[in-house]
Amino acid sequence: MLNIRSYNSFYKLVGEIEKKEEEIANLEEFPPELLIKHPLQNTWTLWYYENDRTKNWEQNQREITSFDTAEDFWSLYNHIKAASELRQGCDYSMFKQGIRPMWEDDANKNGGRWLINLEKKQRVTDLDHFWLEILLCMIGEAFNEYSDDVCGAVVNVRPKGDKLGVWTADCDRSQSVIEIGRKLKERLRITSKVTIGYQIHKDTMVKAGSLTKNTYTV
Amino acid sequence: MSASPIARQATHSQSIPSKRIFINDPKELPTDYSSTPGGTLYSTTPGGTRIVYERAFLMNLRNSPISRTPPKNMPSIPADLLKGTPAITTMAPSPISKDIPVIEESPEQFEMDM
Repeated sequence: MLNIRSYNSFYKLVGEIEKKEEEIANLEEFPPELLIKHPLQNTWTLWYYENDRTKNWEQNQREITSFDTAEDFWSLYNHIKAASELRQGCDYSMFKQGIRPMWEDDANKNGGRWLINLEKKQRVTDLDHFWLEILLCMIGEAFNEYSDDVCGAVVNVRPKGDKLGVWTADCDRSQSVIEIGRKLKERLRITSKVTIGYQIHKDTMVKAGSLTKNTYTV
Repeated sequence: MSASPIARQATHSQSIPSKRIFINDPKELPTDYSSTPGGTLYSTTPGGTRIVYERAFLMNLRNSPISRTPPKNMPSIPADLLKGTPAITTMAPSPISKDIPVIEESPEQFEMDM
């Protein structure tokens, strides 16, 4: 009697061990591409702007961190707030390492930005996936040979309506600017009825944001 | 057929870039998962081709085990930027969220689907 019972508990134990081993084996069965880090073409830096009136604009731009692999991008993205969760008046910027998210930077001073003005209601429906899509275009080098002209991107969370900007290095390289704009529109699935405009930073500097003329449109 | 487009682009032979990192103190070792001292090492193509990733490929990596680990310099990220903290906490940081940030992270750790 005793023997049978101990056999039963023995088999139960063996069963449990086998189950555990199976679980461990499953862990090891991640495809190899999920267990290595994927290097990016560029190193990218995330910036965060917070509107603190006791500081000047430049002091309010904070460099958060840099990354150069797809996994490091995701581990950052997965742990920080989405753009729609930021307080009004705040920005996220993601630029190639070494480029500051400001017009005055050498890499930006001859450039401009593709600007996407969102309506208020789009904060809920579009803001986060548009921003993610722009980030994926940049880190994945979706603009192909024109990717070198991309400096970075900015999302402004504002009460009047949020804004997304993709900054390029040189406003005179019209083919590059237009191809980047076209790709952006395609990836964001902006319908052909809607046009987006490219504004030169030097024009934005002298005029209030929304009044700046569009040098290119797609 | 002839060489792949990538092989054909690499017309000049170049030496494989390498660097040597000396560790004098255990503190110099990276604390985060799967990094090597002085930056993570990869095999590289000398003279390189552009590293392009399709959207679907990047999305597929979003929830990989490495992508779900906390970012390497989490302590330097402003606390109110981290997920799970209310948007308006900067003025009066509660002692709980400040002293034990590890606990804030732990629920997410247990959500992993293995």
